[in-house]
Amino acid sequence: MSGRAAQSSGRRTPLSAHGAPGVWLLALALAIALLMIVLLVGAIGLRGLSTFWPRPVELVTLKSGERLYGLPQRTEAFTPPVPIEGVGDLASAIDAEGRPLRRLYRVGNRDLGQEAFRWIPLVEAASIERPSDAVAIERREWGLFVGRIEALTEDGERIEGELGSDEVDEAIRRADERLGEIEALQGGELASLDRELESLRLGLRAQEIRSERLEGVELARPLVRWGRWCGLLAGVVLVGCFAARAGGVGRGRAIRAMGLWCLAGLLLVGVLTEHPWARNALDAPALAARQAVVGERRAALEAEYEGLLARIDRIRAEDARFGVIVRDAEGRLAPRSAASPDEPMLVSQIVRVVRSNEGGLDDRARVYLARWAEFLADEPRASNTEGGIWPVIFGTVVLTLLLAVAVAPLGVVAAVYLREYARQGVLTSLVRISVNNLAGVPSIVYGVFGLGFFCYTLGRYVDTGPSAPMQALPWWFLIGGAAVAVFGALALSVAARPAPGRDRSAGMRLAGGVVGLVWLAAVGLLLAAAATTPYFHGFFKARASEGTPTFGTRGILWASLTLALLTLPVVIVATEEAISAVPRSMREGSFGCGASRWQTIWRIVLPGAGPGILTGMILAMARGAGEVAPLMLVGAVKLAPELPLSGEFPFVHADRSFMHLGFHIYDLGFQSPDAQAAEGLVWSATLVLVMIVFALNLSAFVLRGRLRAKLRTSAV
Amino acid sequence: MSQVSAVTSNRAAASDPAERYRLIEEIRRGGVPTAEIHDEVRRHEPVLEVQAFRLWYGGAQALFDVSMGAPRGKVTAIIGPSGCGKSTLLRSVNRLNDLIDGVRVEGDMTLNGASIYGPGVDVIDLRKRLGMVFQKPNPFPMSIFENVVYPLRIDGERRRSVLQEACERALTGAAIWNEVKDRLKESALGLSGGQQQRLCIARAIVADPEVLLLDEPCSALDPIATLRVEELIAEISQRYTVLIVTHNMQQAARVSDFTAFMYLGRLVEFGPTSAIFQNPRLAETEEYVTGRFG
Repeated sequence: MSGRAAQSSGRRTPLSAHGAPGVWLLALALAIALLMIVLLVGAIGLRGLSTFWPRPVELVTLKSGERLYGLPQRTEAFTPPVPIEGVGDLASAIDAEGRPLRRLYRVGNRDLGQEAFRWIPLVEAASIERPSDAVAIERREWGLFVGRIEALTEDGERIEGELGSDEVDEAIRRADERLGEIEALQGGELASLDRELESLRLGLRAQEIRSERLEGVELARPLVRWGRWCGLLAGVVLVGCFAARAGGVGRGRAIRAMGLWCLAGLLLVGVLTEHPWARNALDAPALAARQAVVGERRAALEAEYEGLLARIDRIRAEDARFGVIVRDAEGRLAPRSAASPDEPMLVSQIVRVVRSNEGGLDDRARVYLARWAEFLADEPRASNTEGGIWPVIFGTVVLTLLLAVAVAPLGVVAAVYLREYARQGVLTSLVRISVNNLAGVPSIVYGVFGLGFFCYTLGRYVDTGPSAPMQALPWWFLIGGAAVAVFGALALSVAARPAPGRDRSAGMRLAGGVVGLVWLAAVGLLLAAAATTPYFHGFFKARASEGTPTFGTRGILWASLTLALLTLPVVIVATEEAISAVPRSMREGSFGCGASRWQTIWRIVLPGAGPGILTGMILAMARGAGEVAPLMLVGAVKLAPELPLSGEFPFVHADRSFMHLGFHIYDLGFQSPDAQAAEGLVWSATLVLVMIVFALNLSAFVLRGRLRAKLRTSAV
Repeated sequence: MSQVSAVTSNRAAASDPAERYRLIEEIRRGGVPTAEIHDEVRRHEPVLEVQAFRLWYGGAQALFDVSMGAPRGKVTAIIGPSGCGKSTLLRSVNRLNDLIDGVRVEGDMTLNGASIYGPGVDVIDLRKRLGMVFQKPNPFPMSIFENVVYPLRIDGERRRSVLQEACERALTGAAIWNEVKDRLKESALGLSGGQQQRLCIARAIVADPEVLLLDEPCSALDPIATLRVEELIAEISQRYTVLIVTHNMQQAARVSDFTAFMYLGRLVEFGPTSAIFQNPRLAETEEYVTGRFG
């Protein structure tokens, strides 16, 4: 809108031509979107970060004479059900507009039979003070106790003398040492004894199952079996050699590949059926002898176990000598347990004493940081409403990594085939549309599928083998049919390919149409063979026979596979786009150098598509990390006793259930017995989840930036 | 060039306008006139021979009965207006057109006597015997070294010493060794356009091709880079047979020994460059090379 131009022509460009109102609308929409994001992130950040800041302890004396300690949470104006007379004793009991105020106190002390939170209308309060000896005590059970520490006890006797914070802290430190000792015993020797007992029992059970199954079946002598096996191997190699020689010049490559695949397949079958290292089942006397040996060993282990338990009991008895007398504002004692309400509680029941009324900012900051450290690094306690979320973070990260490991190769390979090899036609379009539609399927559907297919079908197969195995002979016919179908499909697909530069003949078209069906039949036959093989009896039959399936139930492996399925469309679409964005000139350059399509894809196309593929992976991982609904069905639990990775064999326990942040947030906020107390934790856990997703994205973003810089074209 | 046009314009002006475009008119009507091939061409032994080659993109025919031979050890230029099929012909030599859906061919070509389109030809092996340089420089997103030895790598060569020696030889051959010898590990994408194109030439000659195919190698370059690449082509032609497609007639005149003129998928005239530019047999060729038609 140059002024001179407008003067010289006598016309003005209308505002609408510049699109000014439209631009303002766009800016407004962006501003609204940004505002919502800032609000969300701001709320999560603010609430999440403020949870662990220690609040002061107030001593409230009500007009009725009742006294109570509480941690003020927030103050708000309210409309009382009955209009309140007077303005109360406190100047701050009403707000500027004359409405009465009330304050939410966290009063804790649930074991004294009261609600942990309480609204107090300020007009009912006679006085509010902050006595310096009032403390908030975090306990291992029953949550917070707000009160006053009166004395330490030993063997039921009060320890006389000055009671400062140092003495209390020292007593807590010593109690922590004792608890640490017990924990080390339980986690170390006791746990390994447990495992050994378990493996002994399972080993014996597996022997028994084998003996039942193989009763009356006699295997051939080992020498004969080795001989047969070597003969089979040699036969396959010979056939392969002949096939390679019989294949012409142009098709030699395909024939060779086919031969290799057949070799691999036959080897697998050989391993499944005739492996020479198979052992005969134990007969009844041998089994009995074995049972006796195991029984002896078990008795020895159990004696050791008892000894350990006794040691732990001794430490506990020692621990029970040290108590602490804590009273609330009414003078009621903090009890040891519901069963013994008159005993003072043990020092070892205390996690931390927060003296927020005395001490400066640095003391509070120390408590704040200690609470964060506990939150991030410790295990949860008191049905998740206290303690840390370390297993939850760990479970989430492991799940996301497993998901990435599962989805990356699958998605990339599928996309490469779809884009580079599949003939672009109606069928490929259909596949592409279906993949896109999969992205819109509600995630709970994937959860149901994962539970039904992965856990209850695949998992059960891994555990116990096929539920209805066939007889050996018909099964071999099935395998033969499958082999014929595979061979036929390979031969047909070779025959259906025209020489380059030539048109496909009618016969080739027919073969091309049929080849898909033959492949389908081959895959169906192979699946049927796997599902009915009489030679596979499961890897964990002993445990499954006791009603505790290993893989046949919810677990982190199935959860990550379900999520991989869920995020597959994202990866496929992103990879396809990245692949098609690789310039044609690069491919032609590579082909011009004499590279095959395969080499071009692996050396030029995939590296060039790297950043785009990585973007898809970021999206998939972020979505997977934040998913909750399917996880509730396939493996996330409220409390997992053990982590999915550990120092004991086999290190990755893919069968274990796990904790997940998204599910944890739901559980804390809506399923916990003390939802109000957990509210702060919900915010903090949300903050952690957002930070994890953010960190994942950021790392992938940086990685992508580096890749892209490497691929950046300059000059022309 | 101005000299050339001064000499030839007289003849063109003298002939009858209706008669002048006889051949062009025939081609436009869909006819396939016999190409005018000079005898000098026949005196040379062809390393690459095109025999009645026809090509269709789907239903549209792009090449009509093209028959010509590229003499051994010479530079043969293919000129012609846009869309005349010269690039298609070049890309048919190493069968890059196979990659395009719906391409169909008839006729054959031979490379050193061996059929290119016959049954059982290993296309990958064929392409390894030919080097190709494209219109737009297309170095791969890798280091300069990896770019040059790419054809050897895909051939399975892993010995470091062999690769290094081949790399130096090819880069020296492409007259770029002195510029990049200290930065072989750096990305090839950081080079200038002209350097990238010479790098692509190095990549094309690293495996000692039997024929070097250049598809308008200078059309994306500035004049100075063009000059250097042309010098390079002149140098390379002492060792390799070169087939170059260009729409720049000065370039054809400068670098080539033989020139083929194509129009609408037909070969029109093929002869020694000097004859084509100074004394063409057909008026159409003359009109085209002097820039009055096309």
